[in-house]
Amino acid sequence: MDRGYYWLVFALAVPAFLWLVPTLWMVSLSFQPNEVLARTTSTTFFGLIPIPFTAENYAALFAFGQTPWWFLNSLIVAVGMTLGVLLVSTTAGYALARLDFPFKKTVMVICLVGLMVPEQAVFIPLYTMFADLGWHNSYHALILPRMAVPIGVFLMMQFFQAIPKDIEEAALIDGVGRLHIFWYIMLPLARPAMMTLAILTFLYAWNDYLWPLVSAQSRDYFTITLGLASIQSNFAQSEGLGRVMASGVIASLPVVILFLIFQRYVVQAMTVGGSKG
Amino acid sequence: MQTKARRPLTERQTALILLAPFLVTYALFLVYPFFRGIWISLHDWNLLAVAFNPDAKEFVGLRNYERVMWGRDIAWGFASPVLQTLGALGLAATAWAYLTGRIARFNAVVLAVVSVLLIVLPGFHPDEEGRWYDRRFWPTVGNTILFVALAVPGVTFTALVLAACLNRETRAMGTLRTLFFLSQVLSVTVVTLIWQIMFSPRQGLIANVTGVLGASPINWLTDERFAMAAIVIATIWWSLGIAMILFLAGLQDISKDIYEAAAIDDATGVKAFWYITLPNLKRTITLVVVLQIILHFQVFGQAHLMTQGGPNDSTQVLVRYIYQTGFRDSELGRASAMAVFLFLIMGAFSLIQFAVGREKS
Repeated sequence: MDRGYYWLVFALAVPAFLWLVPTLWMVSLSFQPNEVLARTTSTTFFGLIPIPFTAENYAALFAFGQTPWWFLNSLIVAVGMTLGVLLVSTTAGYALARLDFPFKKTVMVICLVGLMVPEQAVFIPLYTMFADLGWHNSYHALILPRMAVPIGVFLMMQFFQAIPKDIEEAALIDGVGRLHIFWYIMLPLARPAMMTLAILTFLYAWNDYLWPLVSAQSRDYFTITLGLASIQSNFAQSEGLGRVMASGVIASLPVVILFLIFQRYVVQAMTVGGSKG
Repeated sequence: MQTKARRPLTERQTALILLAPFLVTYALFLVYPFFRGIWISLHDWNLLAVAFNPDAKEFVGLRNYERVMWGRDIAWGFASPVLQTLGALGLAATAWAYLTGRIARFNAVVLAVVSVLLIVLPGFHPDEEGRWYDRRFWPTVGNTILFVALAVPGVTFTALVLAACLNRETRAMGTLRTLFFLSQVLSVTVVTLIWQIMFSPRQGLIANVTGVLGASPINWLTDERFAMAAIVIATIWWSLGIAMILFLAGLQDISKDIYEAAAIDDATGVKAFWYITLPNLKRTITLVVVLQIILHFQVFGQAHLMTQGGPNDSTQVLVRYIYQTGFRDSELGRASAMAVFLFLIMGAFSLIQFAVGREKS
């Protein structure tokens, strides 16, 4: 490594730190007393160091307020959606990649067209549909619409297409049924792709805002993302800045931890999600 | 009881079983709502009235589209000289670049279409007697386009420079990449929470730092001159990560040999970036730009939570207007007409995205 390299790292460390500052600031404010924050947010080093320090905000969050409940809702919705998407995507992806059936081309084109339909273009009809069924303010209302998104199917299809065919052919000759092959041979092989898809879905579910906003009107069914939106407009009167920031930290913890542990998958997932819709 | 050996399923039956869960959800929650949305847009459909009495809707044909996009006594002329001149210049530049072989035909067509739209669309205006039926719709579309026009180049440029600098497989570079990417995984409500306070003139970090330097605080979110800039800054901070990662992937595909050959000719650093990296990244750049346009055209949370579309509608964007028309004003018919408009724009860009993606393979 030459000298230029070290200069480059040093030169990049400054913007990287600046990039981190807003997040750091949120964490730091969440550890400062509300009474202090009401006066000034820049006690120690512009407020980036939590002195005076307190964990009171977090204790208050768990003692009263709905944040833990919303957090649980988010977990249920995100896990439910992830399992649902994995189910429909692996099965359909395998069928499209490996099986022959009538109208296969048609099915594929219809799915491809679906990639072009943004959530924002269908949320009104979905709303009226779920209202007619009386489904709003429920977990399935928050989970079901996203299961219909074809991106996972294409991701799994591409993965299955890349697996050599002879593995299956050997099993077929032995008289093993297709469903067995799918369940016992192909699914275990597909674990990396399923992991990527699972993370993509979990992140989406955790961070989704528009659909929960129209579907969940009862605060009991708020996700943490939605709950956080509901308390950030008038925190000064009710919750106090420190507590709202603590809610923000709690809301971010799962996705940040997921990101730090599975960084490779997350980056891959977001690249796939970004480049395909 | 009979103990017949079970006949294995045929391939067709298996395919049907495996496809069923997806096709059912897809048909129910995407295909059907899509067409139902178009159907709603053809009705005078009040959310509350129809909720109480399903027959309280009235078929009005395309009237919703007219009420949203058109007006009384609309004329065409040079109503917006700046944009229209820009369009004309763009058209001339495109023709010149295409005829001298500087850009490919596909790009030329896209640029030409954009230029022509820039000449034609701003030209519509109501004459003295007339008015738009909905005075807020086109300004809202304009704000959305402005937001895209600011955020997309901002993200693309920053991400490109960072990716070029970070394109080395060392631990230090890996850590730096993580730091730049981290904000991407946060939800829009966390991002708006952070930046709302960051921009606050009384409590904000920005005001605190500039205050030390002696500047008076700016009312970022409530001043018409700065509100749009504020949500663009928050957006760039938030969504830089994907673009950076896509650029890094693109950079990996450029052979190291080219750089080594260029180094002999004394082309390193900025020179190498300009003459080697940029031309080789053309396709990735196009892809990232199109993706960002699709993504940011659907902006909602930032404008909804940070500025509430204000001040004075200066950050009102299309999805927020759809949301308000539908759920605050209960005008589902008009809101659906706008949603169809949004879909058409998104669809056009998705087609471009497919075309660009195809070029690769």
